[in-house]
Amino acid sequence: MGFFEFEKRWLRSIFDCVIPSGASRVLPEGAADVPLEGFIEDLLAHAPAQFCLGMRACTWAITLAPLLVLGRPKTFHGLSREDQYRVLDVMRSSDIYLVREMPLLFKTIGCLGYGGLPRIQARLDIEPRDATDPEWARRGAKS
Amino acid sequence: MSRAQGSSRQGIQCLADVQGQALVEDGADVVIIGSGAAGATAARVLTDAGLDVILVEEGAHIPTEQLRSDAYSSFKHLWRDMGFQVAEGRAFTPVLQGRAVGGTTVVNGAIIHRLPEPIYDLWAAEHAVDRSFGYRELTDIFDQLDKELHVGPAPDAVFGANNQLMQLGVEGIGAQGNRIRRNVKGCQGSAHCNQGCPTGRKQSMDVSYVPRALERGARLYAQCRAETIHSKSGRVSGVRGRFIDPVTRQKGPRFAFHGRRAVVLCASAIQTPQLLQANGFGRASQLVGERLQCHPGTGVVGVFDNPVKLSFGATQGFETTHFWHERMKFESVAMPLEFAAARLPGIGPELMHELESFNHLAIWGVQVRARALGSVHKSLFGAAKIQYDMLDSDIEILKLGVQRLIRMMFAAGARQVLPGVHGLPDRIDSPDEAERLFRLPNDPRLFHCIAAHLFGTAKLGLSKHSSVVDLNCQVHDAPGLYVFDSSVFPTNMGVNPQHSICALSWLMSERLASRRR
Repeated sequence: MGFFEFEKRWLRSIFDCVIPSGASRVLPEGAADVPLEGFIEDLLAHAPAQFCLGMRACTWAITLAPLLVLGRPKTFHGLSREDQYRVLDVMRSSDIYLVREMPLLFKTIGCLGYGGLPRIQARLDIEPRDATDPEWARRGAKS
Repeated sequence: MSRAQGSSRQGIQCLADVQGQALVEDGADVVIIGSGAAGATAARVLTDAGLDVILVEEGAHIPTEQLRSDAYSSFKHLWRDMGFQVAEGRAFTPVLQGRAVGGTTVVNGAIIHRLPEPIYDLWAAEHAVDRSFGYRELTDIFDQLDKELHVGPAPDAVFGANNQLMQLGVEGIGAQGNRIRRNVKGCQGSAHCNQGCPTGRKQSMDVSYVPRALERGARLYAQCRAETIHSKSGRVSGVRGRFIDPVTRQKGPRFAFHGRRAVVLCASAIQTPQLLQANGFGRASQLVGERLQCHPGTGVVGVFDNPVKLSFGATQGFETTHFWHERMKFESVAMPLEFAAARLPGIGPELMHELESFNHLAIWGVQVRARALGSVHKSLFGAAKIQYDMLDSDIEILKLGVQRLIRMMFAAGARQVLPGVHGLPDRIDSPDEAERLFRLPNDPRLFHCIAAHLFGTAKLGLSKHSSVVDLNCQVHDAPGLYVFDSSVFPTNMGVNPQHSICALSWLMSERLASRRR
């Protein structure tokens, strides 16, 4: 299922917030520093249609959430990083199941790509079994 | 994991091998749908008995040397729906199944258990299973399976700290546990059982019974989706479908495989009932796809001062069945970074900080022998529509299980425990804090469960009005059509089912082989 370019930008901004750069001395690289585009492309091309539909709905919901969560007529993309954290923190603590599952979905998916990179594993002293990056990362790096 | 090449192994044909053909046709004594625990075991027994066998597998054949260790590659190539298959209820519950040559045995934790005798007794009392086979018959098969699949506990050298700590934790709460009996020959402790064993040591069906059957003349067609079961003169005589790459969805030729003696469904408790439904079999009982049972489970993370290193050791090496009679079982589970990260609290800098402590995390899980019944039907999207919702009584057991896991973690010396339950703090510092669990409502949405081990959607029994298959696992209203997978189990069993599935398939395959045409 193809996402529009603007939707991919929204997705990127959510992943960048969930897995930020420079937030950890051990893991200075965040989602923005790895070729996560390749991962997103690959995921959306191969995941079941229902999953992709859900992902798209969640992307829109988080993008428009600042209005409800912060009372600010801005998209998630247009917020400062601190306000983005606030939005996701409020959502993940929500008593409404579907609302609190949204940040978790992006954390799960983001970590599935990010955590699978040998260089990220090496930073955590996990001996990578694969000598090369996954296929999506090699493709993402080329583009 | 390249999909462009044809299969490298003699006896296996995949999409690339048949591309360009209009129709792929073949015939054998028995056509088996599915190459997991049930299908591969059936192929092993039937070929040993001298029968000609065709195995039909929807997933691809991924040789060990082509496996990648990252979880996403594994999801994409080895797991059904890339691991995103879910059951719908009040909560969305991931339903984990393999889809590859070897089925779920390729991605499971290699845990071996025999059918518990109290479960056999229950099946005998309520479902007349004793009129089909005695427990002694199963025991003999279990012994044989143990030998052939190299079943035994993980040796000290590769046991790993996650398992050692669980042993401490179990003993610390006054329970008894044991090293898990695993079907692994010379485990290297790579902690990658769930991504496909990178050293080929796990004796999953793709490296054990499938090759054995191929050596005895079986043919395996991979990337083949079975669609219709056809009959001749009132007897099921074959299966038709299409080659299709499950990852790229690229379509290939149609196929028609003829089974002179039988067609055996071993496609799992999710796919088998869908095939039966699509072809109108088992209608009299109205039970096809109903009575789905499973073992919902969840995990608890402990943070330890000393390194644990989840990336080394037997993936699942220690367990306790001490509380089995209370419908719960506990086991260690080494998750890769990708899965563990999602289980950690926080977003942004908080998450990154948590990730730094990855090597200090231990993860153990509880699985519940739930009483809930779900169902499986085909959805509008063509995939399985699985409905499942734990009962209040199941959730009460789950809560007690999580509380016990938390107590075990602290008993083993955890500095902090991350319970992963909505309504509890992200981090708790003492076992007493876990008591708050019992003040929470019985709501499955508070937990993050997965559903593994699936049963009951084509149960066996005496009458076509109260069961789908007879006591020889032949579909009541379809002579020549059999089901040998866990769909026929009348209930769940509270322990990991691979060995019981193999044993039942073995027993029924022997009967099929000895039956005159």
